[in-house]
Amino acid sequence: MRRVVVRGMFARKLRLTLTALAIVLGVTFVTGTLVLTDTLNKTFDSIVGTAYAHVSFEIRGATTLKGVGATSPDSTATRGTIPASILGSVRRLPGVAFAYGSVSGYAQFIARNGSSIGNGRALGYSFDPNPQLSSLRLVEGRAPTTANAVVMDRSTADKYRFKAGDHVRVLLPGAPQTFTITGIVTFGNDNSLAGATLAGFYLPTAQRLFDSAGRYDAIYVLAAPGSDDVALQRAITRVLPPGIQVVSGQAIQSDLKQTIQNALSFLSDALLVFAFIALFVGAFTIANTFSITIGQRTRELALLRLVGASRRQVFGSVLGEAALTGLIAAAVGLGLGVLAALGLRALLGAFGIVLPSSSLVFEARTPIVALAVGVGVTVLAAVFPARRAVRIPPVAALGDRTGEAAASTGRRLITGMALTLVGIVLVAAGVAKPAIAYVGIGALALFLATAILSPVIAAPLAGSLGRPLARLLGTAGRLGRQNSMRNPRRTAQTAGALTIGLALVSAVAVLGASLSATAKQEVDSAVNADYVISGSGGGGISHTLPAIIARLPFVTATTAVYGGQFDFEDSLSHLGAVSTTGLDRTVNLHITHGSAAPALAAGELLIDSTTAADKHLHVGSVVGVTFARTGSTTIRIGGIYKPNPLAGSYIVGASYFLAHFDHPLVGAVLFSVRDRAPGVAAVLDRAKATYPNLQIQTRAQFQASQQNSVNQLLGLIYVLLALAVIVALIGIVNTLLLSVFERTREIGLLRAVGMRRRQVRTMIRSEAVIVATFGALVGIVVGGALGVALSSALRTSGITTISVPVTSLIAFLVVAALLGLGAATWPARRAAGLDVLGAIATE
Amino acid sequence: MCVALQLASEHGGRVIGAAPTNGVPAARAHALVKVYGRGQASVRALDGVDVEFERGRFTAVMGPSGSGKSTLMHCLAGLDAPTEGSAFVGDHELSQLDDQALTRLRRDQIGFVFQAFNLIPTLSAAENITLPIDLAGGRLDRGWFDQLTESLGIADRLSHRPSELSGGQQQRVACARALISHPELVFADEPTGNLDSTASAGLLGFLRAAVADHGQSIVMVTHDPSTAAYADRVVFLADGRLVDELSAPTAEAVLERMKQLAS
Repeated sequence: MRRVVVRGMFARKLRLTLTALAIVLGVTFVTGTLVLTDTLNKTFDSIVGTAYAHVSFEIRGATTLKGVGATSPDSTATRGTIPASILGSVRRLPGVAFAYGSVSGYAQFIARNGSSIGNGRALGYSFDPNPQLSSLRLVEGRAPTTANAVVMDRSTADKYRFKAGDHVRVLLPGAPQTFTITGIVTFGNDNSLAGATLAGFYLPTAQRLFDSAGRYDAIYVLAAPGSDDVALQRAITRVLPPGIQVVSGQAIQSDLKQTIQNALSFLSDALLVFAFIALFVGAFTIANTFSITIGQRTRELALLRLVGASRRQVFGSVLGEAALTGLIAAAVGLGLGVLAALGLRALLGAFGIVLPSSSLVFEARTPIVALAVGVGVTVLAAVFPARRAVRIPPVAALGDRTGEAAASTGRRLITGMALTLVGIVLVAAGVAKPAIAYVGIGALALFLATAILSPVIAAPLAGSLGRPLARLLGTAGRLGRQNSMRNPRRTAQTAGALTIGLALVSAVAVLGASLSATAKQEVDSAVNADYVISGSGGGGISHTLPAIIARLPFVTATTAVYGGQFDFEDSLSHLGAVSTTGLDRTVNLHITHGSAAPALAAGELLIDSTTAADKHLHVGSVVGVTFARTGSTTIRIGGIYKPNPLAGSYIVGASYFLAHFDHPLVGAVLFSVRDRAPGVAAVLDRAKATYPNLQIQTRAQFQASQQNSVNQLLGLIYVLLALAVIVALIGIVNTLLLSVFERTREIGLLRAVGMRRRQVRTMIRSEAVIVATFGALVGIVVGGALGVALSSALRTSGITTISVPVTSLIAFLVVAALLGLGAATWPARRAAGLDVLGAIATE
Repeated sequence: MCVALQLASEHGGRVIGAAPTNGVPAARAHALVKVYGRGQASVRALDGVDVEFERGRFTAVMGPSGSGKSTLMHCLAGLDAPTEGSAFVGDHELSQLDDQALTRLRRDQIGFVFQAFNLIPTLSAAENITLPIDLAGGRLDRGWFDQLTESLGIADRLSHRPSELSGGQQQRVACARALISHPELVFADEPTGNLDSTASAGLLGFLRAAVADHGQSIVMVTHDPSTAAYADRVVFLADGRLVDELSAPTAEAVLERMKQLAS
């Protein structure tokens, strides 16, 4: 039987190659994702390893916030600082070889051409000249020992042609300053820290720049050789005041690695979802190919049964073929996956997700997963066709071809309708509640219902879709139309893969359009300011900026926006803060109860109405909050506003915020100007020259950039979903080839009675276009509806406006039809190239 | 007959149930009825057929098309279930066997040769011949294989695919496959239907010799009197009933009977 399987595969190698292609693509994606995340994991692990290579202990502020792990790396946002006096007492402890107090903060180099370097990934720190403890190596020049000295990472120095002795301008939490580069450093053996720029200052300078005079962010301790770590940790603990903790370097390393792994597993999960969508679509293609080939091999399989193959042997032969196909495809996909890892990194980079580059890591798990997935999906997809193969009676080898028993349309209709009803009820319940899980399960039911019902509607729908083609293209078009109608199950199954792909694309399109419309509407309703300043790529805004803006003659109102984390009623939440003067001219909070500016000025808290309703709070309620630096306190609720994602759920006044957070960065500055004030642009250009990391946008530009970020994400998802659509198209090519093969005799006959080659091609192409349009149409309708349901169910999570991008959806349909036309190229050429006499002689 | 028994005991180790005895016919039908369809549209393809096919003999089943001869063969080979009555191969009543047992019966005790599409196109001639043994996971009797392929004149064509063989050669490969596992019984359904007269004569001569030399039991369905003349015995079917039979037939005698039946 093994021989029958292998020989059969060789005889059908073309169609199996096409089938395998679907799996190859899916496995490639899976492998690429795994290799990429493993590589990133390794990269970050080695960074952490380097950073803490010599650190025996770290002393730092303990966090009092819930939801922040004892060793969470998010130190500046959630931890207090340490008084400098502690360093002395730690140094005096026996067993301490060396201890160094460090501070860090935002410091961004400006290139010679005036642009900022490393937007969003610019790190400033106090440079520790002692090589015993520091992970930074001075490779050129000397350590900074004066107020205007800085050391630069080698990567930046090489790329922007800086060397020791040069001057460089640096953006800081305060005003920008010019420094002299005294030396070049590396991070361990790397030229930079995972692509971030490094600016190292003399400790007292760093303390001044980062607003930490007399304090440290952390103290790093190197234990003397041979000292007892446990005893030393206990000794250090004894000299620490309450609120300060000591953690071993080992513990921090493993926690940091864990945190990074968690963050990366989110990335790999997200990518794997798309890989599995492609595989799911691929499974459709495989199931379709196998059922068609089994139909064509009916007599051969019956003959096997006749000469004594058991049902199990026939079943096994089909599954064996599938397993072998899957195995070969998975092996190819595994190889291509390594290339895909590079491609994925480039793709994410193109969409603004920059990941550090290093040599690829190939874990043992990767090939195991890839092979299991490839073989598993192929075999599972072949189970249903294999069951049909088993039902072929041996007597089918003797007589005429016994047509496959058509499943009763009535039962199909009833099952499909019932499932549709269940799906609709679930989706409706999900929208009403709103609960996204119900919508998801409902969507699954609807997908299944579509798959069950589409053979029923395939013939009539394909018929009406094909009518204009038939009219336009004459006989060839008419035959193509009839071919698309003659085996509804095959048409539906072929189109099914495309249906799923386009349903997902359409659902995402609706969701994206709604998100985009919501973003526009949020800005419309929340922002009154004429201009919005934000740090590009998450870079900081100097805290001197709001005052500078406010002093400009044409500015009528300025609002600085801050953000940080706090515990609200014992759960970690995001707290926003705004300066209160002239607030109503820059921000519109849509207060429903209480007041905005007066309440904020009085040190009260504003919350949105959803939170108020959830937690049964109202104006005048007093709630418990906790800050990392200042600990627990209570605050009165002074106002309630309509929910707006731009504003977040909790807002306090800027002065209250600054009293509870250490050196926070300004998140954004909003300001309004006098009507037709002259010279605004010139002044803003000058500001931009001083602070090249800033984005100064008009309200309309800000709105566009908010929408743009949604569109960018949408673009990324489209690219990832494109894979599923490609797999679906491979399925169409495959089915058409099989149909051409099956109708060899018929096509020969048509040619013999005078059909020209061109007409044969037209006939095949029309069929392809009809099948593709059918699949796309069903997908777009189902997906579009699900997109609306999904958007509606997300209304409490921030989608307030639902928008259906009709133009995009129509464009999808047209593109699908064109892709169908493209998919027909090869099968059409094959059909047209058939030798007339040979074709007629075919049994 | 003696040679046949000897061969059977040497090579027939995979037969199911008790070893067949001389008294039991190779196959028999008892009051066999087969009705296709229901109500008005029903067709009585077999209408109470009682027939025995003796061991070690070559029996031809004749009849005009629609007489039920193919249905009779299908029922006797366990390919189709009779509506009433019972069919036996050796001691085994086919209705008592499940699909697995029937499959094993076909594999080990029945050989098939039919009009067309006898071979798996992707396998070579040799692989087609040994297919039943391979499916059973058994060991090939090399001597028997060589003997069969020699006497069929296909020994030099064994590595060829069916598409590279002539119709006659394909049919001889099918014969070799039918005989390779020493079946209790060979069913041949219009085996010469697609062959020219020379090839037909060669094939029928071989079947004849298999009966004479090895005591093989063969049941052949045909509508051609000259083909039927190769058999030891001819049974005639008409309208689903056994209407006549003839021993040691000649083509003329068979044709004469057919004419009588038609009138």
